[in-house]
Amino acid sequence: MPVPAPSLIDAVVARPWLARLLKPVANWYVNAAGYRQMGLRADDLICEEDERVLKALKRLSPKENYDRVYRLRRATQLSLQHKLLPKNEWTKPEEDVPYLTPVLKQVVAEEKERHALDTLEVVRRKGQH
Amino acid sequence: MLCRSALTRGSQLAARQAGVQKLAQRGFAAAAAAAPKSSYEPTTIAGVKVAARDDNGPTTRLAVVAKAGTRYEPLPGLTVGLEEYAFKNTNKRSALRIVRESELLGGQLTSYHTREALVLQASFLREDLPYFAELLAEVVSQTRYTSHEFHEEVENVIHQKQAKLDAAAIALDAAHAVAFHTGLGAPLYPTPSTPVSSYLNEHSVAAFAEAAYTKPNIAIVADGASSAGLSKWIEPFFKDVPAASDAAVKSAPSKYFGGEQRIALTGGNSLVIAFPGAAQGAKQPETAVLAALLGGQSSIKWSPGFSLLAKAAASTFGATAKASHLAYSDAGLLAIQITGQAAAVRKVAEESVKALKSVAEGGVTQEDLVKAIAKAKFNLLSAGEVAGSALAQTGSQLIHAGELVKVAEAVSALEGVTAEKLQAAAKTLLEGKASVAAVGDLHVLPFAEDLGLRRNPPSTQPSQTGTAVPALTAAKMTFAWKAAGLTYNRYLAVASRAVRNALKEDKRLAAERRNRQELRFAKWTNGKQGEIQNLADANVAAAVESAAAGGTA
Repeated sequence: MPVPAPSLIDAVVARPWLARLLKPVANWYVNAAGYRQMGLRADDLICEEDERVLKALKRLSPKENYDRVYRLRRATQLSLQHKLLPKNEWTKPEEDVPYLTPVLKQVVAEEKERHALDTLEVVRRKGQH
Repeated sequence: MLCRSALTRGSQLAARQAGVQKLAQRGFAAAAAAAPKSSYEPTTIAGVKVAARDDNGPTTRLAVVAKAGTRYEPLPGLTVGLEEYAFKNTNKRSALRIVRESELLGGQLTSYHTREALVLQASFLREDLPYFAELLAEVVSQTRYTSHEFHEEVENVIHQKQAKLDAAAIALDAAHAVAFHTGLGAPLYPTPSTPVSSYLNEHSVAAFAEAAYTKPNIAIVADGASSAGLSKWIEPFFKDVPAASDAAVKSAPSKYFGGEQRIALTGGNSLVIAFPGAAQGAKQPETAVLAALLGGQSSIKWSPGFSLLAKAAASTFGATAKASHLAYSDAGLLAIQITGQAAAVRKVAEESVKALKSVAEGGVTQEDLVKAIAKAKFNLLSAGEVAGSALAQTGSQLIHAGELVKVAEAVSALEGVTAEKLQAAAKTLLEGKASVAAVGDLHVLPFAEDLGLRRNPPSTQPSQTGTAVPALTAAKMTFAWKAAGLTYNRYLAVASRAVRNALKEDKRLAAERRNRQELRFAKWTNGKQGEIQNLADANVAAAVESAAAGGTA
């Protein structure tokens, strides 16, 4: 995620007719990926081995952090047992909200701004304030 | 053929020299005119109180002074939190961008607080006024108070500053705490053992900011900015600052209590002996002169100086003493701060109290008095003159009193201080209840009583000992006649005489006739009768005699 894979999502969202067309396909794909059946959310799958993700994780509230760890441990246990959750405990589509991505975007933006300011060239015009 | 660069270089040089001459001329002209540095001029721009002065120098200092010092914090540590949140992420730009941009412009951003005011200050080149006016307005009205900045930066900085607190700072805070309890008694910086973590978080700081950063609650102080520039730029940028808030900052009027506090601490010893002083702008110049007379800090290199405390400390190696007059909006504190090695602190403290007692007994020479008045005048005038030093003070005066203290009046008041007035002031201080704070090695540091300071002022003292005594007599429910030193019989006689005198003419004559005592008495000594006296006349004579003797009858 931090180095995002090439994606056409923006182009699709910009064209409502295309979004409507692809929505069923997307839903099928998400269900087929199988993480919802193990009680996870999409943001739980973001790879942790990255400075920026670690920093973003630190900025989560204690409650969000606790819930995340609970979901991951439950999923690990299910994986060991080769089981899925009972169907009523699967992650519902409305629960599958991005809780980490906004924070991660903020961290990436900060980093980008710092880089931009570090490599800045100053041109000061005469009479400029 | 002439080289082009040589030509341009010559013209550059010529231009530069012309500039230098012009500058030099300007400098001489300014010196010749010898105009006194202008003082701050208070105005109001778009509902915000502004004080500005302009010496046409190349740099400007602009500060937002908010009534949000530790005195006004609703929960411990909020002022410190708000101070550290200054120049952090705002809705418009990030903290990093703020720092980098002001670095590019050569500006400096600082935030600090006093007991009464929180100051956000920017120092910069004169032509950058619009940028920094916008920045300060943005910090005041649009800071985001994010959680991650609180945990990653604000908390850490506060912990580091707490670790730097020394015995002197803790002792001064403790002296304020026993002197004023709440309000001004709140610590200037919470110590590491203060439980602030349950009160201090980004939400409480944001709520405090909302209450503190309102138009009536802030003042803008500019040193070195033209008034035209200020009126042009403050209006558009500060229009987003709310005119009022639901939860305004408040603090009860200060009341002096006095007492003693002792705190054990390793790594430093400090003793503060404090007495009630004068508030800012109060007509009580003796306190400032007394502080200057006690002094302590030498103004002569390699010499202890001539002030009383310096002389007291000169014979003891390892401790320094200084007296300062801390004036706040509605109260003041005359504090003698002694720091150093424990044994030396004890010795200097004893000497300092002796010095103060010698002032109270009239041991001040005319020469010392003249020196002290001159020093007090210098302190007062230089505080307002040195560039940038008076921003917090000026802003604080604006937000508390709405006007600036008249320096000329204060100076002439200082000149009117006489040795008698000074002696009376010192006597009053010593008769009242002192605030004593000892921090460090408590095995060595003395108690207030060991120093010869009174713990409780005498209850028969009339109310000349300032604010403390009436408060105490009220607390003990003492009758006024008892406090004044009368017996009950005499009190009744005085009261009935007053009632009788208030009657109409005919009734009064009848009442006076009723009061006429025909009882006579004589004293018998050695079997002989003495002179026969009228009892009423003898009573009046005895009352006069007792009043002259100090009202102890």
